Amino acid sequence: MKYVALLSVALATVAAGLLLGPASVPAGEFLRSPIVWQLRLPRVVLAYLVGGVLGVTGVALQALVRNPLADPFLLGLSGGAGLGAVVAIALHLPGPWALPLAAFAGAVGAMVLVYRLGLIGGTGGAGGAGGELDPRILLLGGVAVGAFAAAITTALVSLAEATELRNAFLWLWGGFSAASWTTVLVMLVYAPLPLAVIAAAARPLDLLALGEEPAQYLGADVRRLKQLVYLAASLLTAAAVALSGVIGFVGLIVPHVCRLVWGRLHRTLIPTSFLTGGILLAAADTLARTAVAPRELPVGIVTALIGVPLFAFLLRRWTVS
Amino acid sequence: MRRWAHRTHLAGFLACIAAACGTGNRALPSGGITVTDDAGRAVTLARPARRIVSLLPSFTELLFAMGAGDRLVGRTAWCDYPPAALAVPNVGDGMPPNIEAVAARRPDLVVLYRSAQNAPAASQLERLDIHVVVLDLNQLTDLGRVARILGRLTGRERSADSLGQAMDSVASQPPAPSTYSLAFIVWDNPPIVIGAGSYLDRLAALAGARNVFHDIGSPSAQVSIETIAARDPDFVAVLSDSATQPSFAARPEWRVVRAVRRGRFLLLPGQLFGRPSPRVAQAVRELRNRLNGEGGAP
Repeated sequence: MKYVALLSVALATVAAGLLLGPASVPAGEFLRSPIVWQLRLPRVVLAYLVGGVLGVTGVALQALVRNPLADPFLLGLSGGAGLGAVVAIALHLPGPWALPLAAFAGAVGAMVLVYRLGLIGGTGGAGGAGGELDPRILLLGGVAVGAFAAAITTALVSLAEATELRNAFLWLWGGFSAASWTTVLVMLVYAPLPLAVIAAAARPLDLLALGEEPAQYLGADVRRLKQLVYLAASLLTAAAVALSGVIGFVGLIVPHVCRLVWGRLHRTLIPTSFLTGGILLAAADTLARTAVAPRELPVGIVTALIGVPLFAFLLRRWTVS
Repeated sequence: MRRWAHRTHLAGFLACIAAACGTGNRALPSGGITVTDDAGRAVTLARPARRIVSLLPSFTELLFAMGAGDRLVGRTAWCDYPPAALAVPNVGDGMPPNIEAVAARRPDLVVLYRSAQNAPAASQLERLDIHVVVLDLNQLTDLGRVARILGRLTGRERSADSLGQAMDSVASQPPAPSTYSLAFIVWDNPPIVIGAGSYLDRLAALAGARNVFHDIGSPSAQVSIETIAARDPDFVAVLSDSATQPSFAARPEWRVVRAVRRGRFLLLPGQLFGRPSPRVAQAVRELRNRLNGEGGAP
């Protein structure tokens, strides 16, 4: 029953995203309008995919580092992506894809750094096969690398042409202005593999919640699991940032909401987080486009504005009962 | 302890600079110049300013245009017009300024742009006994007033008045009948456009183009591509010093906008269009020529 409700809310959200917009599209032309086909539909789909990806990434990382505060950006990825984006703008890298590619490179660079920091006990050989990921070091390393990248970013912004880079900061705050069928296609080709890696790890992630040693005794290859899940989650986040900037909060609260409603088993948590994250972000983007039309709100603000009350309500119900 | 000693040392150094610049005669003789600036402060000079630091490119241009360019002893890194301005020592940013770099030029007047960011700078400079005038310069209508205030402070009232009159006459022109519509796109992701409360909106109206985002009251705003497509401007105007189309022109989502699809871009050099300047009449003329030139071949 809960699943049927979830699916119908998901469909309703996508439909609302298609029907609502600052431009009025006559009903007769609706199916032929480039505004619907080239702008609204890819935008809704991309928002849904990114929301879903962030939700799943949040679930995976919170289980991995066993910390309810973990979110896809805690591990330094947003700092790295921001640095990449600002460098692309400061150097006037040409081409319409320069900015997302540079952001992706920055995020992956940060990921590699944090991964190397978090890998302890290894000989530092290729692939780091000998080491083991320590969740605490991973968190600390993520925060440190993120802060360092943010410092370089701010230094570049304060030294370079003011308006241009102030706008880069706006990009960093997240949004779906750049949505097109190309970006949707990029996400559709890119996301399934890391998502599958995380989905396949559902059972061991349940065990990991018991603690690393119990998980090992119960037959999980904890070391490999942590490495794979970390890499998959980071690569998903990097792609999300590259396509839509840093949209906070979805990856933090969606896993908690789903845990409150569906319980702690990752087999259900992973798909429901995908669907819920998509709903939250697609709805937030529709509001961002329409609430103050002709102007537009940054989507990250809207996710927090509708996400926090929802989260507070669920938290209250959960702690009371 | 050491740090404290270091600080007093620095303060002493700054006090020396302030004393050296010799503007300490606060007990001013009658017959000095007094103006009220845009922050509502009374600015009083004993005599016309001779060593001026200008902290906005538009101020620098105005001072040169009224023949007071030789009084400039400091300018921002962004003051690039007229070419003679480049010979004036660069004190870095104007918002907020580097107080030490400004003070080291030993100015007797600092012209500061009015913004929240600059408020601490005004009081810091005054504590160093340097006169500061704080001025707004956001709209076409500000130009004449600012020219006259600067004229009084530099003792070049006459040329400032005629400059101000020229600015005011441009500002009070009725807008030309608009043949074309345009959208100023200052950033593509997220899309940021220019609204009514801006210099460029008025400039476009004078050149005979209607800003399709004239209904947005603020100087600039974030909008969606969908809104731009629905407003369907004839031209997309971009502040750009390059002769090639901006890179977003190639992105599929932008090509829903008709003007982008047809490549109807107006690439406006930032030096002439990016700020209110005494060359506003030239800017209006050039924009009109571009509109008619490009508009002739739809």
